[in-house]
Amino acid sequence: MNRQSSLSRRDPPLRSGFFTRFRLSWAIWFLVGVHAVVVLAGFIAPYSFETQEREHPFAPPTRLHFVDCAGKFHFRPFVYVTKAAENALDQYQQDCSQPAGIEFFPKGDRYTILGTFSSTRHLFGVPAPTNLFLMGTDGFGRDQFSRLLYGGQVSLFAGFVAAAFSAFTGLLLGGIAGMYGGRVDDVAMRFAEIFITIPWFYLLIAVRAFLPLQISPVTAFLLVVSVIGIVGWSRPARLVRGVILSARERNFVLAARGFGASNAYLLRRHLMPLTFRVLLTQMAVLIPQFILAEVILSFLGLGIGEPFPSWGNMLAQAQQYHVLVSYWWMLLPGLAPVPVFLAYHSLAETLQERIKSNF
Amino acid sequence: MRLRRLLFLYAALLPLLAGLQAIAQEDLLRTTSEPGIRGGKLVIAQRSEPRTLNPILTVDQNSLGVLGRMMGDLIHINRATQKSEPALAKSWTVSKDGTVFTLKLRRGIRFSDGQPFDADDVLFTFKVYLDEQVHSLQHDLLVISGKSVKVEKLDVYSVRFTFPSPYSAAERVFDGLAILPRHLLEKDYQAGKIGQDWPLNTPPAQIAGLGAFRLKQVIPGDRIVLERNPYYWKVDAKGQRLPYLDELTFVVVPTQDAQVIRFQAGDSQIISSLSADNYAALEAEQKARHFKLYDAGPGLEYNFLLFNLNDDLEGRLPEIARKQKWFRDVRFRQAISAAIDRAGIVRLVYRNRAAALATHVSPGNRAWFNSAIPVPIRSLPHARELLTAAGFSWKSDNTLVDPTGQPVEFSIVVSSSNAQRNQIATLVQADLKALGIGAHVVPVEGRSASDRVLNTHDYEAVVMGLVSGDADPTPDMNVLLSNGQTHLWHMDEKTPATPWEAELDQLMAKQLGTINYQQRKKIYDRVQEILAQQLPMIYLASPNILVGAQENLGNFHPAIIEQYTFWNADELFWHPPAGKQ
Amino acid sequence: MIRYLARRAAHGLLMLFGVSVLMFLLFQTAPGDFLSEIKVSTQISPETIATLRAQYGLDQPLPVRYWQWLKSSARGDFGYSFAYNTPASTLLLPRARNTLLLSIPALLISWLIAVPLGVLAAGWKSRWADRLFSGGTSTLLALPDVLIALLALLIALKTGIFPVGGMTSINAQDQNTWAYVRDLGWHMLLPVAAMVIGSLTMILRHVRASVSEVLESSYMRAAEGHGLPRFKLLFGYALPAAANPLISLFGLSVAMLLSVSLLIEVVMSWPGIGPLLLESILARDLFVVIGAVMLSTVFLIAGNLLGDVLLYAFDPRIRRQA
Repeated sequence: MNRQSSLSRRDPPLRSGFFTRFRLSWAIWFLVGVHAVVVLAGFIAPYSFETQEREHPFAPPTRLHFVDCAGKFHFRPFVYVTKAAENALDQYQQDCSQPAGIEFFPKGDRYTILGTFSSTRHLFGVPAPTNLFLMGTDGFGRDQFSRLLYGGQVSLFAGFVAAAFSAFTGLLLGGIAGMYGGRVDDVAMRFAEIFITIPWFYLLIAVRAFLPLQISPVTAFLLVVSVIGIVGWSRPARLVRGVILSARERNFVLAARGFGASNAYLLRRHLMPLTFRVLLTQMAVLIPQFILAEVILSFLGLGIGEPFPSWGNMLAQAQQYHVLVSYWWMLLPGLAPVPVFLAYHSLAETLQERIKSNF
Repeated sequence: MRLRRLLFLYAALLPLLAGLQAIAQEDLLRTTSEPGIRGGKLVIAQRSEPRTLNPILTVDQNSLGVLGRMMGDLIHINRATQKSEPALAKSWTVSKDGTVFTLKLRRGIRFSDGQPFDADDVLFTFKVYLDEQVHSLQHDLLVISGKSVKVEKLDVYSVRFTFPSPYSAAERVFDGLAILPRHLLEKDYQAGKIGQDWPLNTPPAQIAGLGAFRLKQVIPGDRIVLERNPYYWKVDAKGQRLPYLDELTFVVVPTQDAQVIRFQAGDSQIISSLSADNYAALEAEQKARHFKLYDAGPGLEYNFLLFNLNDDLEGRLPEIARKQKWFRDVRFRQAISAAIDRAGIVRLVYRNRAAALATHVSPGNRAWFNSAIPVPIRSLPHARELLTAAGFSWKSDNTLVDPTGQPVEFSIVVSSSNAQRNQIATLVQADLKALGIGAHVVPVEGRSASDRVLNTHDYEAVVMGLVSGDADPTPDMNVLLSNGQTHLWHMDEKTPATPWEAELDQLMAKQLGTINYQQRKKIYDRVQEILAQQLPMIYLASPNILVGAQENLGNFHPAIIEQYTFWNADELFWHPPAGKQ
Repeated sequence: MIRYLARRAAHGLLMLFGVSVLMFLLFQTAPGDFLSEIKVSTQISPETIATLRAQYGLDQPLPVRYWQWLKSSARGDFGYSFAYNTPASTLLLPRARNTLLLSIPALLISWLIAVPLGVLAAGWKSRWADRLFSGGTSTLLALPDVLIALLALLIALKTGIFPVGGMTSINAQDQNTWAYVRDLGWHMLLPVAAMVIGSLTMILRHVRASVSEVLESSYMRAAEGHGLPRFKLLFGYALPAAANPLISLFGLSVAMLLSVSLLIEVVMSWPGIGPLLLESILARDLFVVIGAVMLSTVFLIAGNLLGDVLLYAFDPRIRRQA
């Protein structure tokens, strides 16, 4: 099959590098941007993820004003103090007498970036007693916007680690299956099929309940995520096996064998590099799947522990009837993964096309 | 000729007379509630369906809800007054020393299949319950301090119960103990198969009971339909035989949110337990959807923070054993208690529909609550004082360290399926952080959590809750006694580990044998004082019982003892819609 | 052909065996069993609990339990549900039927929409239509199933048009058959719609990708050049040529019939096999869990087998090979 026929007609041919590079770069730049924002969550978020404003449970998103109650226009956006109404715990009223402009680089809760850099300066905020809840608060009065950013750290990182584990295990087992072929291959592939059938969340409940209590919730969560990744080894394994099986018969491999190369050498020097590209593409497919797995896990209550947020456990609160009906801002964490998935998807598509055209 | 005619008349009338005599001779119970109107159906949603219809094997509230409507008991606790009253036993006398109960049964009563009821059924029932081979779940209720209750038949309608020692809660034991039909079950009992009888798919004709309703239909996984028992032995003030309802249906709706949705849509007409959040969400719709919500006040559930005080951890779980040094110091526990924002819990988790607790007894338990004990108010300075006195100190970054310099941190286990307890744990965690303690919440699947607390003791702290079986103190003995089944903070204790636990044992044993209410109250007040001071469990809050029903449901009197909404199902009726007569 | 099928069937049985062993082993790892909850709630003595444990066979070693289960499964008895006190099969089968009530219509509707739409989309000349199509399907694909389910529930709650949750109204049993079917259909609407949205886009993209690849080939271009009408070109020639991967995908869809609807069933309280599985896992109801997993494995194998058979029947190249 010639090169051209393997391309989809409406997508510009790869030779015109501009479009593909453009498409590739929007996805990559977007992902880099998202991850950067999420890593800098401490700085960008006006509050910490665990600060509880117990006087403001389920507060709606704070309204930004340019025009005050008297009708005057200000250049700097400002907010009003909100107070809970007398008997209704979640009805809030604005108090026109106390405006507060948004400040830039104010002092706030202490945070640490990447465990090394610590500070109290945030990107923006408002002075007490006003609050700036850009996405409202949850039942404990915790700012959802800040939690969304911190939650991104958990969900996105979960996807990475799980996909990495998956790819690594798949590489190992698929490589062995493809290399040695025959019975080993058969057994490995049957084993892989079995793993696809098992309800993976049962495995997770078991692991979760079994974990020692002394480890921090972050460590516990990482362990659980690694388990997801290890259980998901079958698809990468299949891919790697396919690549190795077909590559095994290639001339350069036969030649190397003729020169006395051992299996290990062949694997390391020739076959593995071939798989990397495939694995990279597979990672771009796997990462969003595993982010989704983390979201579902947390949604079912098996994810990272309180008070650490993740997009999944934030969305889980919306499952409750009263939240679903009365507090629409609690559904926003469900939309957060959408642009990320779109970017990964686009990335995966481009990578796949590249591979098809180069093979 | 006339004689023959007279004889003929007499012969014809005889069965009629006999029948009339039978009805006239029925010892019916006259109720005093508002007389209602016959007819209509009621649908109630439950979390899950009963696992079986066999009273011997049922222990969970869902099963008891259904079976309790089909079966009758001798003496019943009126959920509204929280006192015992006559049921199948129309009267009884108690001996001076409180050990012998002589019950007079109602005459002429019949089971739901028409067969007569008498003392033989009672005897059979208790024989089954007390039989060790049967392993009924009611067995332990009838064994006081290791000895069984003795049951004797005095005549066709009299039974004598002899308790091995004076037992203050004796009358209340009978509540919920279903009387089994001898004519249906004796054969299987003698063959040793009674434990397998009456699974869910039993044909209705094979089940009979003395309750207000009898089984009509079961659709597994979906619903159980009960119909009126025509032989029910209660009549109202107007002489109408109860129950008023033609049909009572229990539907399976697994989550509370789904139950709320069904209730709102009118699919079910009663909702038996609402979280405060759902209550608030439904409040706005009351007028439009024609239902009413009720807040029955604090119930008998108590939620608490429990520290692991078991002593079998050395060598097995050294990390936890190390931290127990802190947990065992009463000042540490008191400091934790002083640091917790109970008002915040009541407001945020329960929307002010709960009561903060000082002991496990909630203010809803009117007869036994010790109002002299103050509920702890959050005070960080007081907590710091206590901790300093216990040898703790703070580092420059406000982390709490123990006398040896180790930072104080521990995990709090909570059942992942209970939203309220998870919320409580989160609030507690934030409160402890203000004190410099690093606590992290570990939601664990429900059964695994119970397993850790009861069996493996592999936990440091846990937020959980218990529901007292009854307003009476006696069911709580399982928790309070050192060798109790659910002596949670120190399971399998051979002898009391501390002087105050020894005092608790003594006091509880004493109240068990004290018949006079005033004296018992004094003893139990002292028990509560000890608990409030020593804090084996740090008691947090007791949620109110929140329920709802369609507004034209008559005789709806929610109670704080199960079954909250339909304990008087035999008296519930439908008012006709306004304007129709 | 028969030998091929026989080989696949044997392979399927081996899979079933492997899955059952793995499930039994997994069950051993999580602590706690069905009886731990009873201990907390009432005054039950340890002796009673121990006896109940023996009665349910929970204290026997794992291999013994497994062997007994294997023996009884061969007879058609899939074990006993501790939680419901009834044979596992009486629980599983009605629930599986309810799940299929959702997933089969969803499957059919998705494929019936996706195939024509995908073929048409492959044939579009306009670049902008393509971009719109790509963008639209990507966005729909990126929406988490969880969010779709929650939104469906929200729509039902807010508008009040659709019944919210459950399979039938309470009094449905009393009505005549036609009213019952209508009631059922009304309840099925939202869950099926949510499932179709979830799976449609994936199938759509695969159809389009497959068909557009075929459209590139020279013989297709030649046919186009010869003036073959568009419709006949797309559906009469391109689609059959592109069918192979689609048939495998269809087999895969059939294989997933029992498992794909779990989240929807949980969120919308549809009494399918999903909620039963979740509940049984939490209740540590060993035999029900294994039975449910076995059932979905059977579907998995059957689905793949169906895909293979269809391929065999449809593609002469494969028939010649095998």
